[in-house]
Amino acid sequence: MKKKSVLELLLGEWNTKTIVAIALGAALFGVLMNYGGITVFTNVKLTTAFLVPVVVGALFGPIPAALAAGLGNVIADTIGGWGYWWDWSIGNAVLGLLVGCLPLYGADIAKGIFKTKHAIIYVVIAVVGNALAFGLITPIFTQLFYGGELVVTFLQANAATLSNIAVLVIGGLPVLYALAARNASAQNLTKK
Amino acid sequence: MSRRFVINLVQGETYLQKLNGTTKLGLFLIVMVYTMMSFDLRLLLPLFILSWIGLASLKPNYKLILGLFGFIFFMNFVNIILYYAVNQDVGSSYLNGTRTVLIQFNSYWYLTIETLWYLSVRQFKMMTSFMISMVFILSITPGELASGMSGLKIPYKISTITSLAFRYIPEIFNDYETIKMSMQARGLELDKRRLNVFKRLKENLMILIPLIFTSFDRIGNIANALDLRGFGQGKSRTYYCEDPVTSRDKLFRGITILLIIFCISFMVYQNVNHFGMWFPFKI
Repeated sequence: MKKKSVLELLLGEWNTKTIVAIALGAALFGVLMNYGGITVFTNVKLTTAFLVPVVVGALFGPIPAALAAGLGNVIADTIGGWGYWWDWSIGNAVLGLLVGCLPLYGADIAKGIFKTKHAIIYVVIAVVGNALAFGLITPIFTQLFYGGELVVTFLQANAATLSNIAVLVIGGLPVLYALAARNASAQNLTKK
Repeated sequence: MSRRFVINLVQGETYLQKLNGTTKLGLFLIVMVYTMMSFDLRLLLPLFILSWIGLASLKPNYKLILGLFGFIFFMNFVNIILYYAVNQDVGSSYLNGTRTVLIQFNSYWYLTIETLWYLSVRQFKMMTSFMISMVFILSITPGELASGMSGLKIPYKISTITSLAFRYIPEIFNDYETIKMSMQARGLELDKRRLNVFKRLKENLMILIPLIFTSFDRIGNIANALDLRGFGQGKSRTYYCEDPVTSRDKLFRGITILLIIFCISFMVYQNVNHFGMWFPFKI
């Protein structure tokens, strides 16, 4: 099999399967945002929805993961009926893009390749990506769209960052390991 | 299903619901830009009143709407209180830097007219944005949203993603409920009074992992079904729920174009002249 270029890995393969995966990812994201959350603080929920872009990214690439997270948040806003929060949708898309980067550093969940090295990189990216997406990008857009006091916006964003890191690390690793083990069992033939 | 979603799945009979999907989506997007760009009560108030009129014309379930309205109002109100607690001069930076103390509680806590005005306008803006979203959500169906997106020249693969996602939300929701019940039958504790946050997160994962597996196992079937029907072969596609463009659509599209021109000129004007918010109590 020929090695794929970074751009190909970033875009993922745009076939019908990817489109369906993004759609189902966005739907899962919407459902989990509405029903699978644990409220911590006014705007902030400890939601397991953020694991969905990780899985989409692991199987289909970062751009599909970003679309699943961004569209998923818009869909969650639509079925929840609490109005649209575009600033958070943009932040989610950025986070989806970053945590969906698994194929870029060699983890291949579809073939069952997920080692300790990949787990460490994943955790680092989860922490940095959250800090970037909700610590920087979301507050900037909140300020741009709705105005407000920057300190409070940052504080709320930081609460979201911490809860998301908790979900992504505590939840993401078991999910990735489980998924990799599940796929590996289907691919355990060795070449003689 | 134990809970109804806010969005309608079948097109209704009222005036706004009868509009073409492209018209609705275009108007909604430009009105959203209009709300975001303006911090001016003179611009927001007419929109707020119009959105209530629009909502009334949709004959909604008022109990649900008022419940959501109260919830959003409370959430934004908490934000506003936090803004005030952190910086009592937050209004002055938006209102040309003047400071007029209204009440002095003690040396630290005081209330200026500027802050009061700014925070009220912000609350009003958030509520306006909520009302517009509500009118949009209640007037559109998922199918129309998809056809509207492709009408706005967004690639139809992206609109298919939205319509597919809406199609599978009820099924995923049902799966979620089934998995939750079967896990509870096996002794999974989900009572929030008995567990701390991290235990609950772990228990939630026990539902999530099978949910992700079942959902992603479907992908192959759905993709094959789509491929067999020739999805992705043509450059464009049509939609069943594309309504013909009527005279009322032309009216609303005209309004949309006028709003686009207004928004662009307003933003250019604002950035050239650097004026602050409209403030009627200037001394």
